[in-house]
Amino acid sequence: MRAIPTLKISISGVRGVVGDSLTPTLLTRFAQAFGTYIGPGAIVIGRDPRTSGEMVKQAVIAGMLSSGNRVIDLGMCPVPTVQLLVRLRRAQGGIAITASHNPAEWNALKFIGPAGLFLDSGQAREMLDIYHQGEYTKVNGNEIRTIEEFAGATDIHLQTILDVLGPLPPTPRPVRVVLDSCNGAGSQVGPKLLEALGAEVIPINVTPDGSFPRPAEPLPENLGELRAAVKMHHADIGFAQDMDADRLAIVSEQGTPIGEDYTLVLAAMYVLSRERGPVVANLSTTSALQDVAKSFECPIFLTKIGEVNVTDEMEKQQAVIGGEGNGGVIYPRINFARDSLVGMALVLHLLAQKGQPVTELMKSFPSYSIVKQKLVCPSHRVATVLKMLREEYAGYPVDARDGIKVMLHNGWFLVRGSNTEPVIRVVAEAGSDSEARDIVAAVREKLEA
Amino acid sequence: MKPLKIGITGVRGIVGQTFTPELAVGFAQAFGTYLDGGRILICRDTRPSGPMIRSAVLAGLLSAGCEVVDLGVCPTPTMQLAIKWLEADGGIAITAGHNPWQWNALKFVRADGLYLNPRQAEELLDIFHQAEFTKATWDTITQTIQYRDPIEHHLDVLSQAFSSPTFVSQPQVVAVDCCNGACSLLSPRWLERLGCEVLVINNNPQAPFPHQPEPKPETMAQLCAVVKAGHADIGFAHDADGERLGIVTERGESLSEETTLMIAAEIRLRQQLGTIVTNISTTSAIEQIAARYSGAVVRTPVGQTYISEGMLEHNGVIGGEGSGGVTIPEVQLTHDSAAAIGLILQYLSRSGQRISDLVEQLPRLSVLKHNIAVEPNRLYSVLQEFRESVEGEALGYDNVDGVKVTLPGGWVHVRASNTESMIRIIVENEGAGGARQLLDWTLDRLRT
Repeated sequence: MRAIPTLKISISGVRGVVGDSLTPTLLTRFAQAFGTYIGPGAIVIGRDPRTSGEMVKQAVIAGMLSSGNRVIDLGMCPVPTVQLLVRLRRAQGGIAITASHNPAEWNALKFIGPAGLFLDSGQAREMLDIYHQGEYTKVNGNEIRTIEEFAGATDIHLQTILDVLGPLPPTPRPVRVVLDSCNGAGSQVGPKLLEALGAEVIPINVTPDGSFPRPAEPLPENLGELRAAVKMHHADIGFAQDMDADRLAIVSEQGTPIGEDYTLVLAAMYVLSRERGPVVANLSTTSALQDVAKSFECPIFLTKIGEVNVTDEMEKQQAVIGGEGNGGVIYPRINFARDSLVGMALVLHLLAQKGQPVTELMKSFPSYSIVKQKLVCPSHRVATVLKMLREEYAGYPVDARDGIKVMLHNGWFLVRGSNTEPVIRVVAEAGSDSEARDIVAAVREKLEA
Repeated sequence: MKPLKIGITGVRGIVGQTFTPELAVGFAQAFGTYLDGGRILICRDTRPSGPMIRSAVLAGLLSAGCEVVDLGVCPTPTMQLAIKWLEADGGIAITAGHNPWQWNALKFVRADGLYLNPRQAEELLDIFHQAEFTKATWDTITQTIQYRDPIEHHLDVLSQAFSSPTFVSQPQVVAVDCCNGACSLLSPRWLERLGCEVLVINNNPQAPFPHQPEPKPETMAQLCAVVKAGHADIGFAHDADGERLGIVTERGESLSEETTLMIAAEIRLRQQLGTIVTNISTTSAIEQIAARYSGAVVRTPVGQTYISEGMLEHNGVIGGEGSGGVTIPEVQLTHDSAAAIGLILQYLSRSGQRISDLVEQLPRLSVLKHNIAVEPNRLYSVLQEFRESVEGEALGYDNVDGVKVTLPGGWVHVRASNTESMIRIIVENEGAGGARQLLDWTLDRLRT
């Protein structure tokens, strides 16, 4: 049997295993291709705390200098900090060195365009073509630009959040927060921000030394330590960041993970209470977000899956809040990026404004259950399967922009082929867990028939 | 054809053309693989491409599982000394020495502070070409260590070798041109420690090279002017990385780069009898100097690694090359221009002689050097054809490195450069006219 490839070069960047497929030569070439693609100007770089970060960074710097770009090196910082600084420093682009939730042996490059947004699929394809052609801009020695070590980036990020949202309003006693940074890029700035907002912070896993205290994805099953700490310290809320600090999950005052789909719902509740405007999320987002938008009489727009699709639509609709159901909150007044720091500030403001525990806040919108499953399906069969489902559910409203989403009377389901594996993903949501499971079971039955 | 030279002296090319970051990454990976991880020092000269090559080298070394200590900008001999002191397993110097600013290169140093010898260099090249490098995994890969001020240690070693001179009259006034190279950080400090009054020019490592970083009379006009205006007792000119040294007398006369080794050898043999190690392209004045003191001369092929090996093998008291590189074993077995400065200044201050007095006492020979650019695909054929034509005339020759023909009153050496696609011709004769005739004789027999 063929070895499982560990290198993934795609429109979302290049990702691989260090010591195996992610070699310095490959990284240098990608940096050259990116520099060649975006042209002369400054490139902002930042990395998460992975042990391979320094090697990857040096390879990337060599490539960017060779293609004539100036480098602004933020050191270790969250991905949204890189995106923010690209905009604030009016840079030509950015490279975030992080494999987000992948395990410790992985690393990756994510490419950011001049507005601080990730390259969209068209731009990424253009850059990949340059990479594969292998003809990169090479400047002479005297045109090689400088490397600026810029240490203050996370402070600027923190200050930007404070400037826009302000400190928490006075409450009878300070909001008590347990923060689990997963020893990730948010380990330093996370606690600092919460203190600056006026919260009482109990930090755990804030040693950014490249070790992973838990799997990096902030899924309920990975948050045991945080749940225990929230209960032990009688905290009002628990926050979990991932390795690159873009996604945020929440644990209630009872120590229960509320589900990463609801981070955006709570953030939107606060934003819409202060400012009405369009909300943007992807097709796979909980209906609770629609309910919240509706309660504030704000329109909601659902996009194809992918952060860049959401940010594109947010720009188009002049959205006031947006994001993804995986815990990614995008608040354009601060940053056009999934930003766990912004997410924490918004949710804490909501807590302080409402003066209610998280469990109570969750009752202010109908409760839903989401069930997600993967089914094995060869990629060449995906189109046939989707067509068949479309015919089967012809009587229901259907959205076919990304796979097929069917609105049922008691909920919805979304079926789409994976870009990375020979599977189709099924997501169903209904008022109760059993109803959601029934929907998935019905879909499976049709697929397997 | 574009200039790129991968050979026993490392890898050398023009940044923006042939010397790409991938090439630097690949060679660093190969070197890290060759040394099987371990502690590696890196340093660089002041070329504007230095930071780019440095990042590429760091990425390659870290990826190969090395522990990397970055000395920043410093002379190559400073790094070579630090290897032993910091107990490193090797080093990479990012410098193209005397080449113009457009160039850069990697030079590979082993655990004893000397360059890889030709056999080791070939082994490294095989690993590079095979391209199967050691790859550290996430739990073994490390971070770079920045080392501050490696120069202090170099100064300490130099001070031990040349105890502060006892001045016969007053402190010497020394002019020095650092060419805005790595010696900007070493040479003024060394001269001050020696108690000299220092007139320094071109000591800004951020600025471009003010002239070619190759100390020879053509590049020393500014230094001559400073020596005269400042009434200096001597002037010294550095290359970019602290190996070659040029000298200007107190009269403001720039000396040929061939004279540097002659001066150093004359001083050394006056102090200590023994063997001089030099290459076959260097002036035969060296034999004449050795003869005065009944010393011996060992001739090697051209290249610093051969001088170092010759010094080791023959226990030489001094080594060097006609290019201005001098090796003084009390400091280290590799060219070190700061060591040469120490030797010369110590002698001048103790003897009370002027540098021009010493030059007066040297043998007078006329040397002519001539380079011919040759397409890389013809370089060794041109040499072979010259050898055949010499054989055809039934002349005796030495082929240790290229072709060296000894003729009545002088000699001719024709060889391929180690660093550029060039044929280098050196002729020497007792008179200037004779040297010119020898050069013409040679050019007649070279078909490029």
